[in-house]
Amino acid sequence: MSSSPTFLQYFLTLVVVLVAPLIGGILNGFDRKITSRLQSRIGPPLLQPFYDVFKLLQKKPMVLNRIQIMYAYLHLAFMILTIVILALGQDLLMALFIHAFSTIALVIGGMSVRSPYSRIGGQRQIMQMLAYEPVLVFLVIGIYRVVGMQSGTGSFLASQAMSLGQPLLIPLPLMFVSFFIAILIKLHKSPFDVSTSHHMHQELVKGVTLEYSGPFLALIEITHFYETFLLFALIACFWGTNLLVGAVLAAVCFFGMLVVDNACARLTPVWMVRFMWTVPMAMCLCNMVWFYL
Amino acid sequence: MSAFSKSPWVVHYNCNSCNGCDIELLACLTPMYDLERFGVLNVGNPKHADVLVVTGSVNHRNAPVLKNVYDQIPDPKVVVALGVCTSTGGIFAECYNVLGGIDKVIPVDVFVPGCPPRPEAMIDGFVKALGILEEKRGGKDTGSAEKPTITLFPPAVE
Amino acid sequence: MTPLLLSLLVVAPVVFGALAWFLPDGKARKGVVAFSAIFMIALGIFTATQGAFHYELGSWAGPASLLLEAAIMALVLGIAVKVRSWPIGIMVIFQLVVAVAEHVMAHEGAEHGVLFILDPLSTILMLTVSVVGSVIVYYAIGYMDVHAHHAPPTNAGNGRFFFILIGFLGMMNGLVLADNLRWLTIFWEATTLCSFLLIGHDGTEIARANAKRALLINTFGACGMSLASFTAATAAVGATGTLTGITTAHLIIPMAFLCLAAFTKSAQLPFQSWLLGAMVAPTPVSALLHSATMVKAGSYLVLRLAPAFAGERFMVVVAVVGAFTFAVTSALAVSQSNAKKVLAYSTIGNLGLIVACAGIGTPLAYTAALMILCFHAISKGLLFLCVGTIEQQIGSRDIEDMGGILFKLPMTTTITMIGQASMLIPPFGMLMSKWLAMEASIQHPVMLVLVVLGAALTVFFWCKWLGRIQTASFHSHYTMEKLPTAMLVSVVILAVGVVGSALAILPLFHHVFVPVAAGAFKLSPSTLAPLNDVIGFVVWPVVITIVVALALTLLTRRKITEAHVSMPFLCGENVKGTESYLFRGPMEQTTEAWAGTFYFLSIFDETRITQWSNLVAGLLLLTLLGVIKVL
Repeated sequence: MSSSPTFLQYFLTLVVVLVAPLIGGILNGFDRKITSRLQSRIGPPLLQPFYDVFKLLQKKPMVLNRIQIMYAYLHLAFMILTIVILALGQDLLMALFIHAFSTIALVIGGMSVRSPYSRIGGQRQIMQMLAYEPVLVFLVIGIYRVVGMQSGTGSFLASQAMSLGQPLLIPLPLMFVSFFIAILIKLHKSPFDVSTSHHMHQELVKGVTLEYSGPFLALIEITHFYETFLLFALIACFWGTNLLVGAVLAAVCFFGMLVVDNACARLTPVWMVRFMWTVPMAMCLCNMVWFYL
Repeated sequence: MSAFSKSPWVVHYNCNSCNGCDIELLACLTPMYDLERFGVLNVGNPKHADVLVVTGSVNHRNAPVLKNVYDQIPDPKVVVALGVCTSTGGIFAECYNVLGGIDKVIPVDVFVPGCPPRPEAMIDGFVKALGILEEKRGGKDTGSAEKPTITLFPPAVE
Repeated sequence: MTPLLLSLLVVAPVVFGALAWFLPDGKARKGVVAFSAIFMIALGIFTATQGAFHYELGSWAGPASLLLEAAIMALVLGIAVKVRSWPIGIMVIFQLVVAVAEHVMAHEGAEHGVLFILDPLSTILMLTVSVVGSVIVYYAIGYMDVHAHHAPPTNAGNGRFFFILIGFLGMMNGLVLADNLRWLTIFWEATTLCSFLLIGHDGTEIARANAKRALLINTFGACGMSLASFTAATAAVGATGTLTGITTAHLIIPMAFLCLAAFTKSAQLPFQSWLLGAMVAPTPVSALLHSATMVKAGSYLVLRLAPAFAGERFMVVVAVVGAFTFAVTSALAVSQSNAKKVLAYSTIGNLGLIVACAGIGTPLAYTAALMILCFHAISKGLLFLCVGTIEQQIGSRDIEDMGGILFKLPMTTTITMIGQASMLIPPFGMLMSKWLAMEASIQHPVMLVLVVLGAALTVFFWCKWLGRIQTASFHSHYTMEKLPTAMLVSVVILAVGVVGSALAILPLFHHVFVPVAAGAFKLSPSTLAPLNDVIGFVVWPVVITIVVALALTLLTRRKITEAHVSMPFLCGENVKGTESYLFRGPMEQTTEAWAGTFYFLSIFDETRITQWSNLVAGLLLLTLLGVIKVL
């Protein structure tokens, strides 16, 4: 169970880190476009998210204090690190913690300013974490058990999870559904866009990101690209035996996410936590029980 | 056009409007006109915005608010004044509390007169504003827009 | 060399303490306290470098222990009379009876055995006590100076305070080193006494009530300890008088009593109330006894015994108690706005996690438990000291009052931030060990669920607090606050310790924790090689990422001047020229824009949750008895 990556892996990881925001950006472009079509509008160009980021980078910086800058950088840096660790086939649980810290950085950045909207948004973002984080941990543990059933010893290594003879979706169907719901929260889609929201939505006048503007908002947007890429890449990995099928799966989920986003009203934060700690959590546990029986 | 002007994010401030212009502005975002084609997003807060869209006339209460919202938009930024009230105070011009057009408080880049202006006119105004935004990014001083002249009382029929 | 070291470790602090007591309040006493702190650090490190040793006292040790125990019992009995608590009195008399009975009925051979032992496990705790404990004692010099100004008139005086505080270090060392169960009981009781006296230090009504409760619960635990000693010495098979002798399944009953004692000391559910009450004590006491060192004694005991019983059904129950404590206290911490209470709940939770890991009983879990033991002592010691400083400076320990302290106390706040970050961010030790704990608990689904939920809630309350203390307006210049040297230096030492241990986590893991765990399970460290792989990769990438992000921040912030600063968005209604979070409200009233913090008092209702979880924990303890019966 050696885990030291080869040179080729390092090279591929570099490629992934460079390409990820492009794919994530395009995915966001599709998001805007498809959402528009669902609302029978024409919508912005596919590359609109990139235009947004370029524009934001060229704006003059405007801040409330200097600390919030640090957290914008940490937010992005830890998201990239998550992708690096996963791409190198390292420990899934650790990747999850690092990913969580990326979100924590956003939260603290939002809470570090004396702005009521931003502070409330920050705290709602923590509630979002509280809602989805257990589901993600259970998913990782489910993967561990699947690897254990296949190869004798369980493992948290992403590389082992990818080299299974069987798509993860088959033994983990309920966890997959829970993961899909968690993605809705992660990407701030209705009905879970309580801490901040995208596009035309204005929950809490952009909540946790409110006091970030110009280049610093661009950093958060780029992180969002990375995150979109990361989450849908993970979905694709649920069919790791054939990534083409995985890509189709990711595409279906992406479309499903947009439909849900457009069809649902917003939940209150407490409802969100209650829902996540009951239905998806129960599904995860149910799925887990299969492995321990 | 560079990427810069392809992504104008809008914050809309209603000074003292009768809501006619506001409804027409929102109509621009609906499927009929779909301003998002040009990347326009109604972001709802000045910190993320590039374009300040103002409706209604300025009075003593809201003048500092308008100035404040304007100040909280990071540079470069443009101001689009929708409707006749923003130019001169419109039908409210003679009210005891009204200062007049918004140009008394902040520099305006584009005036779109009308009561209310048609969405087509608004979109036209936006496109003009994008050009100015682009120039401002280049560091050019574009000055203030020429204020449309409106006769308060129609000339007497002779 | 060994007897000298041993007596220095145990007796020297008591002597220094007595000296501090009798010297007049002023430079001389401060000098003695400072010297004893430095001396104990040096002694602890020196002892650790000496390697393992065993030491057996002469034949006088048996009667001496009985006498000492009788003396302590008499003391506690006196206190019981004074505070008019008949349950404490009855329990003390019961203990005395048990001790005498043990002396009479003990099997031949049970008397003999190693009396004091320094093995790798006790070295770890001894070092933690000596180093972190001494730093906290040093901090107390500055703290008590200020405390004396606004302490209630009932205050017992600084002399006695320092005597107990320093003497406690000796008692703790004795507890860690004692192998003989009777000596262990003596030191155990002595630490309880220290705790009682220090909680009651301020002499207010609430302080006295809480001190009494601490004594009550810990005396109950000590009864368990006495019974353990008795049952071990009189067992039909494998009778023993030493802690390390309890290795076979025949001795599961003493083991169970020891666990009971450990649960009370480590404030596991349902015994948590005394630790929460103990927070009325001056902050150095909370830091030293109720977070960094004394409460670790309970989990240390479980850790010491765990390898021998690994895999028993009994240990599963122990682990579930620990994990349950972790989950429940994490939930309760969410609802608290009192900073010390948050720290207290978090402490109980982490002790629970140690107990859970010990209960799981795999080498991996054991390593995790050891790491939590050490890193928690440093981080929590630091956080308590920071809260103490903040409390003295702003006059409140309420988290809601801590907004804006970044400007008032930049140094303290930055260090507090480091301390809090060390609880939830890689590569700080606490997160790494929590990660190991999670990896280790994978075989036990119940524990796993509890640990995962607890960990999620942990993030919640740390984030809230971390966000609150950083809330600040823009200031172009920060001036360092003026603090007493002792407070500043000790806080900085611990902060450096936290960061240093995070950077050195790989060597520490390879060369300290893994060998100890392997030794405890009588494996060679090389068989734990896969363990090394687990942790091997992540540390440096994380460090590099943080450094890059910080470097970019510094580059950017240089360009940020007053001109780039804007006011917060308050719908355009900001009041100019004043503090930027004021806005013009209705009727032109100037109103403060204030967003509090979520506490979810209706969901995480302390009273209700405590009731129910105490009930569940009580049932779990009964299960513990049931498991013994089956065996």
